[in-house]
Amino acid sequence: MGNNNLGIKKVDLNKVPFKVRVRPYLIVAPSLIITIGIMVPFVMAIWFSFTNYSFQFPTHRFVGLDNWVNMLTSREFWNALKISLLYGLFSTAIEILLGLGIALLLNSLNNWLSKVLRVLLVFPLMVAPVTATIVWQLMLNSSVGIVEKLFNLFGLYNFPWAASPDTALMTVIMIDVWINTSFVILLVLAGLQSLPKSPFESAKIDGGSAWFNFKNLTLPMLKPSLYIALLFRLMAALQEYAVIFALTKGGPGDTLMSLSLTSYQKGFTFQKFGSAIPYILVLWLIINVLAKWIVKRQRIAQKQASGLEG
Amino acid sequence: MMNTSKQRVLTALMNILLLIYAVFALFPLLWMVMISFKADTEVFTTTFIFNPTLANYKEVLFRSNYARYIIDSLIVSGGAVLVSVVVGVPAAYALARYNFPRKEELAFQILSFKFAPEILVVLPLFMLYQKMGLYDSYIGLIWVYQLISLPLLIWVVRGYFEDISVEIEYAAQVDGYPWYQIFFKMLIPLIKPGLVSSALLAFIFAWNSFTFPLILASSKVYPVTVAITKYLGTDTARYGNLAVAATVSALPAIIFALFIQKHLVRGLSFGAVKG
Amino acid sequence: MKKILVVLMILVVLMTGVFAQGSKEAASEKFDPSAVKGNFDWKMYDGSEITVLFSDHTYASAVEAKLKDFTDKTGIKVNYSSMPEGNYFEKLNVELASRSGSIDVFMTGAYQSWGYATAGNVEPLENYINNASLTDKSWNYSDFIPGVIDALKWDLKPGHPVGKGSQWALPMGWEVNILTYNKKVLADKGLNPPKTAEELLSVAKALKEFGGSGTYGLAVRGLPDWGTIHPAYMSLYSTWGAKDFEVVNGKLVSRVNSPEAVAMTEYWVDLVKNGGAPQWASYGWELCGADLGAGKAAMMWDADRGGYTQNVKGASAQAGNLAFGMVPYPVSAGKTEADMKSNLWVWSMAMNSASNKKGPAWQFMQYFTSPEFMLWSGTEGSCTDTPRTSVLTSQAYRNSVADAEGYYEAFSKVSKDASIFFTAQPYFVETTTEWAKVLQELVTTNKYPSVQVAMDRLKKTMDNIVADLKVE
Repeated sequence: MGNNNLGIKKVDLNKVPFKVRVRPYLIVAPSLIITIGIMVPFVMAIWFSFTNYSFQFPTHRFVGLDNWVNMLTSREFWNALKISLLYGLFSTAIEILLGLGIALLLNSLNNWLSKVLRVLLVFPLMVAPVTATIVWQLMLNSSVGIVEKLFNLFGLYNFPWAASPDTALMTVIMIDVWINTSFVILLVLAGLQSLPKSPFESAKIDGGSAWFNFKNLTLPMLKPSLYIALLFRLMAALQEYAVIFALTKGGPGDTLMSLSLTSYQKGFTFQKFGSAIPYILVLWLIINVLAKWIVKRQRIAQKQASGLEG
Repeated sequence: MMNTSKQRVLTALMNILLLIYAVFALFPLLWMVMISFKADTEVFTTTFIFNPTLANYKEVLFRSNYARYIIDSLIVSGGAVLVSVVVGVPAAYALARYNFPRKEELAFQILSFKFAPEILVVLPLFMLYQKMGLYDSYIGLIWVYQLISLPLLIWVVRGYFEDISVEIEYAAQVDGYPWYQIFFKMLIPLIKPGLVSSALLAFIFAWNSFTFPLILASSKVYPVTVAITKYLGTDTARYGNLAVAATVSALPAIIFALFIQKHLVRGLSFGAVKG
Repeated sequence: MKKILVVLMILVVLMTGVFAQGSKEAASEKFDPSAVKGNFDWKMYDGSEITVLFSDHTYASAVEAKLKDFTDKTGIKVNYSSMPEGNYFEKLNVELASRSGSIDVFMTGAYQSWGYATAGNVEPLENYINNASLTDKSWNYSDFIPGVIDALKWDLKPGHPVGKGSQWALPMGWEVNILTYNKKVLADKGLNPPKTAEELLSVAKALKEFGGSGTYGLAVRGLPDWGTIHPAYMSLYSTWGAKDFEVVNGKLVSRVNSPEAVAMTEYWVDLVKNGGAPQWASYGWELCGADLGAGKAAMMWDADRGGYTQNVKGASAQAGNLAFGMVPYPVSAGKTEADMKSNLWVWSMAMNSASNKKGPAWQFMQYFTSPEFMLWSGTEGSCTDTPRTSVLTSQAYRNSVADAEGYYEAFSKVSKDASIFFTAQPYFVETTTEWAKVLQELVTTNKYPSVQVAMDRLKKTMDNIVADLKVE
């Protein structure tokens, strides 16, 4: 049995009988089977992208790369790409930093405030995104909104929020941050709560500063959780369309027409399903590439963190 | 050694920062609950001082199909999380402990199912489900929800398994404990924070899912998230009713969250097993 | 592992190719309505079951309330479900596209039916209406208000107006788009209710911030979708004498850059910028109605139902203070009251052409558009926009709307010339969405040096969208 001092978990497979060797595959198999079904609709969708499939007409025919070429040469595609990336990257970055900070605060303080907030601060996530957007829209409304009334106290009137091209993206990112920071807080908090005590005890004896402890002990051990949070948030933020749709349906003009919203509009509203798919496939490709990169770093961070604890 | 007054200032600062964020995060929720108690004539004309009324609650909870929507959501979301836990925790363990060929590819493959954007697959899925008889069924939705809950659960829990030093398991094996006792009595408690937090998140995401239930279900299965916008009304916007529907809809997740609170903090006695 | 996946994928693509074709063959057995003979009997289809998908609406709730009565009378069981309005059409599009006959009857608007009928998803109804074996004698087709029932007839030729061709749907309720205003606010400021477009502009501007910051003169929709163009904007556009499309040499040509269209749009942009809501671009009908009801908007130009329901006692803070005007007409363009045109919206129900239960479906449709049902729904069911003349002229109906000042007069007068002023074509949703986006850009940005330039560009976009339509 491979078991060396570094605590690497390894089973020497050459000496192990088939029955045992196949065990991990068997254990993982149900998860795989359940989720592999999605490949069928996925491939169907790819097929549709090469046709002029539209709900308008009773039949559809193969049109080759027409849909793809039309998309790549359209201004709306590049606009959509830009918006998806801005929205995805900015909201994720803010959520990670803010979530990390708040989780650290919650963990360090041990008063009744932090104990109560540990539970309460997950609540924003429990309101469905569409509902949260409707509530925020009401609050930001310049006629009846409470945020507007607050701003009035400071002499600021009629802040446009989602109704102006200059502030729409910022508004929608703010709502996204409001909803999803809780996700990061929960994951990081769980991670902080399960950090082992001994490295910190040793460090205390060695006498290092709090910042030093954070940088060299806490952060590396938290990195795996942070990468997971980053991964899931980025994937979701890039695909997000429900919040934008509920807030402005993509307006004003084309300001908030991300790739997913453009695809949704083309496919479900205009019923030109064949030409809608390339947009969302490009999004899928981007997510795939980004995810591979993040996962690689997560695996490295995980190994380092486990080493620190072993 | 820190100066105590410096420490006090720092603590005060930390509390203030936390409070600022708490106001930002919680005020909209408070406001939403307040609206649920406001009559239609007062929703826009009052802020904190108003005449509370239970009329909205009566209308939503007793004179509509709300209870049925909540039950459908409970069945579908709860069922989805249950399946994910039963199937996913062993898978996470296998991916953490065993070192078999293509392990990372397999893990990534499972993760990649979450990349499939909902709008991409929902139309073909609709056609397939109709042919397979899974349209508008609990099983159909529970299956589709696995896309949302399973990858998250597996990846978070896998990390927690990896954190546990393998020596403990070997020690227990040497002591003669059977594998299921090691698994359930020793390992599960160690991964509790990761398990309950990802289960809660999976439940929330499944509950809030909108596109899948909208397209893949209609009359027999009607999760509450699709129904909430019904309460906004059709001739006049009934924000009070909407607020009631949204507030009550968040309750199951809140109860779940309160319930897992104590599991989020691992017991001190287990501190010894790491390192 | 990868190789196996690739092989699987190829197999799957082949399979789905079969699937996609197969779903068309699985269409309904041909039901020929004109072949049905014998006496009409409500229990003709006793024991069958149909599926109905409606959009959440007062008209749908009225139907839902009487489902049991329907089943008792006919023995037909109904699987009823309704979706929130905001997502209804997306859901319906998916159901119809699959051509699986999973729905038998659905709710639609006139504009949407152009697309669905062109796609072959809608069953034409004339052979049902005209067959005495299928339709009860007392159902009385000629009782429907002509403008309303004609709006649902089209011959499927792009560019041809509605009113001729197959009957694609039956009306459940309809809306004209008139001005609703707050009597009290106008009186307080010493202003008369505007009758012309010029008056509307000056009154709206004068009412800016009438009650402090956040209050304004006129609430109109501003979201980037068809809902922004069809109520107030299109009514004024048509009153101004402009057309959206014209047929030239067998092709549909957009006319949004004609002098009248540009003049009207310049007026509209001015109206919104200086008399409209500060956050107009994110306003749908909900926020417009909410602002009117809360006393933040002094006037609203939208569906008559929107104003009417805000005025019902207990519905809003301003209930009881609201009164109804008509369509402001532009005197500067030489128009008079006789030129008032209101665009029409008709919520209606249609039959899925892929349905396997067309007989029972027709029974459902005629029951819920019958004179008896509509008298009930028009008076007690809150469906105040009744499509039947007999109900409209009945005393019971008049009594039920008596509380709304000016409502009955405005509604009756404007309905005479109300019609659908859009050119019928299947790409309606796309062309009007692009139109709304340009409006938004005109109001919120300086992207275009002038309205003319913006409309010239919009014309090109619209021409492109309809380019593949053959017009005769």
